[in-house]
Amino acid sequence: MGKRLSSLLSAGYLVILYGFIFLPVVVLVLFSFQDGSLPIPPFNGPSLRWYENIFADRHLTSALANSLFVALGSAMVACVLGFLAAYALARFRLPGSALQRGLLVAPMTVSYLIVALGLLTCFNALGIPLSLWTVGIGHVVINLPLCFAIIYASMGAHQKTIERAARDLGANELQVMLLVSAPMLLPSILAAFFLSVTFSWDEFVIAFLLSRFDVTLPVEIWNLLRSGLSPRTNAIGSLVFLISVVLLALLEFTVFRRSAKS
Amino acid sequence: MTFARRNAHACLNGSLVSVALFALATPALAQEQLNALVWCDHTDAALIEPFEAANNVKVNLKTYEGTGAGLAILDQSRPGDWDVLVIDAIDVPRALDLDLLAPLPPEALPTTDLFPGVVMADSTTRDGVTYAVTEKFGYNTISYNKSKVDPEDMKDLSIIWSDKYAGRIALYDYYLPMIGLVAIGLGIPTADIALDDLPAIKEKLAAAKQASKLVGDVVSSQTALATGEVDILVGGGEWITAALAAENPDLDWVIPEQGAVRWAQSIGVLKDSTKQDLALKFVQYIVSPEGQARLATSSCYWGMPANSKAGDHLTAEQKAALRWDNQTDYLARAQLYPAPDAELDGAFQDAWIEMMQQ
Amino acid sequence: MRQDAPIKIGASWRRRTSLRADSLERTERRIAWVLVGPALLWTLAFFVVPFVVMALVSFATRSGKELLFWSLSNYAQFFEKSYLFKGLTVSLEITFTVTLVSVLLAYPLAWIIAERVPKRWQRLALLLAVLPFWTSYVVRSYSWLLVLAKNGIINQALLGMGLIAEPLELASTRTATVIGFVHFFVMLLTLTIYSNLVQLAPNYKRAAADLGANGLQVLWHVVLPLTRPGIMVGAFLTFVLCIGDYITPQILGGNNELGLPQIIMLQLGRRADFPLAAALSIVLMLVVTLAYLACARWLKMDRL
Repeated sequence: MGKRLSSLLSAGYLVILYGFIFLPVVVLVLFSFQDGSLPIPPFNGPSLRWYENIFADRHLTSALANSLFVALGSAMVACVLGFLAAYALARFRLPGSALQRGLLVAPMTVSYLIVALGLLTCFNALGIPLSLWTVGIGHVVINLPLCFAIIYASMGAHQKTIERAARDLGANELQVMLLVSAPMLLPSILAAFFLSVTFSWDEFVIAFLLSRFDVTLPVEIWNLLRSGLSPRTNAIGSLVFLISVVLLALLEFTVFRRSAKS
Repeated sequence: MTFARRNAHACLNGSLVSVALFALATPALAQEQLNALVWCDHTDAALIEPFEAANNVKVNLKTYEGTGAGLAILDQSRPGDWDVLVIDAIDVPRALDLDLLAPLPPEALPTTDLFPGVVMADSTTRDGVTYAVTEKFGYNTISYNKSKVDPEDMKDLSIIWSDKYAGRIALYDYYLPMIGLVAIGLGIPTADIALDDLPAIKEKLAAAKQASKLVGDVVSSQTALATGEVDILVGGGEWITAALAAENPDLDWVIPEQGAVRWAQSIGVLKDSTKQDLALKFVQYIVSPEGQARLATSSCYWGMPANSKAGDHLTAEQKAALRWDNQTDYLARAQLYPAPDAELDGAFQDAWIEMMQQ
Repeated sequence: MRQDAPIKIGASWRRRTSLRADSLERTERRIAWVLVGPALLWTLAFFVVPFVVMALVSFATRSGKELLFWSLSNYAQFFEKSYLFKGLTVSLEITFTVTLVSVLLAYPLAWIIAERVPKRWQRLALLLAVLPFWTSYVVRSYSWLLVLAKNGIINQALLGMGLIAEPLELASTRTATVIGFVHFFVMLLTLTIYSNLVQLAPNYKRAAADLGANGLQVLWHVVLPLTRPGIMVGAFLTFVLCIGDYITPQILGGNNELGLPQIIMLQLGRRADFPLAAALSIVLMLVVTLAYLACARWLKMDRL
């Protein structure tokens, strides 16, 4: 009886919380099919006109491409730098390594607004023009601590023995790092990459302050919001959501399943 | 293939993909570009694309709200970054003091076609040289949902700070016209507002904030009025209601007996622009009758075109939504924005943010 | 050393081997510096230096296009102008509320997924719980505005069910901001707390059960204390992200009160007052540092 009650309570709590979590998404997707020019109740029959509208909008499509470019690029740079740093700090004795670890992780504890403001001040002072590259630099700054922390935390003692074996067999440092450690750490490297892409993809403040005309998707959506209430915003939000869900499903059935089995 | 080579391949593919995306993301680098700093009504594709097609250029637009924000952007940019500037006509002298605008040849502009009260030569010219031309105007006054409130109440400006409709009012988030409206309600002409008037203005602002539901920018205010979140928008006008008129015909606006504030935006060419001819062509397009008609009805907000010839390109419904025929009466009863000096402007902004924080 | 070399025990041999060990260590160290160098340089160049520059700028005042050093006037303004200081209190109040509510809501969710949901479905359940992460943050906040509006879904449902007579004033209030934040952070915290819960050694729970504890007692006396570090890490993350966020309060708060990030953006956007914006950001940074120190016990970097 106690067990049934607790199962019932658990199920009830799950339902309520899932409902809360999905509420804005459901409303978003529903009103993206609004046949009218305002995404508010009452809902007038489904219509695809807003999806046609956003596909025809070249600002949105180029913003999508920009977001992908910045997310993939900054995640790659952050992963490479983070992996190298984690490998160095975990496998070698360096003076002041605690300080170095703290320094590398510090940007994670600082609000993005501060990172953006600092970079903006410097770029203005140096006369460096704002562009997607400056956004990319900012995104590497916020992703690097994440990559470093994730990879560092997963470098354990059991990998050391395999690396030592490789060294005994005659491999030099570079080979050990690239051919032995990296493949062993692939799950955490991939996790770090995936998280970095996610954070960069959705990041607003740095992208807003450090870009000029070529903007990323969150900034373009913000611009959309500031130029008129319309279901276009719903349409682009639903589209982004749909793409992400499909990607996640793909990842789930390829990468995660495989790593879970191995 | 060994693990390492597979990883290296993945890395290489990743980089190639990124480079390809980058190439996609910056298309047509060879095409000439024009950079314009504008209010959101210039971002309508229907307005921009005819110009781009006719001149084979790409127009890059960045929107801003409020002259302070626009000047801040120009301040943080390098010379030559921007070619065209849209700015409140009343603030052109500020831009001239910062030596930002280039002279415009008067023969290139249809000055004689503009509505007489809107030429605003005091602001847009200096020492006989024209630096900007008015392109659009309208009113910051009281917009309301006539099925939810009593239209007679709307004819008195003191409705702003009365609590008869408390919780159903939205305040437009632009301090200059809003302080102007409060001043007019207190009987102070906008041109005469001084530092001594501020305590009285602040008191009324506080009362207005008490009675209001939210303080919103162009879109938040539109959303609030359209969704029924609020029934009155202070600082609204045809620029809010005309765009929503088709969906919700109950939205209306009025100029109260005390008067209201008139906004007028102008367009000019930046002195440091490296594309003076192209920028001038853009300005001419915007003030041409066709351009004016499209600007008047553009997506972010509507407004009266400065060029009266634009009437030939507007439909009867559009003209009715804009109250084309009542303009002479409105122009007589509305006052210009306050044009404070730097110190008073700072005091205004402080008062506004203080009001928001209460 | 070659295998067949005679083993010479003597000072010269010891010197040569220790020299070789030193040089080996030196090459190793050189390699290590080369490996960690790029990351360190990037952090120094694009984080530390801009931060220091910003800190310096906060001690200047703006006069036209020039910056006049040195002055404490920005910090003085922060204490003098009530609307600036209020920005901090507003941000703190909202952040504490959001952190508390999010942890209270997320922990049971994470626990139910980890303990009550069959193992096969756990990853799916977790994925479902965080799926809305992938709608754009800006769009999601905007959706909440429409959901909470006077004629939005919630009010219409409550009115339809007869639970209320007048629509609730939800949108453009602090409540809306808190709801928007909690929505995001419940997802984030569920993820972090779940990963913490599944890493717990099952032996502790089994031992407690063997000693006669029922499910709830196990939770209260064993699981909760063990997962406290994980909760603190999640709470700290929530605190930092929430106090520095601009979008959610801007979209959902209706400008009825301004948090510190909104005031900073106002200074940047409308007045181009970089020094004041920088000073306010330093204040924000100090608050976050204080929070970090308070949670420092649980945030050690050795093994996250």
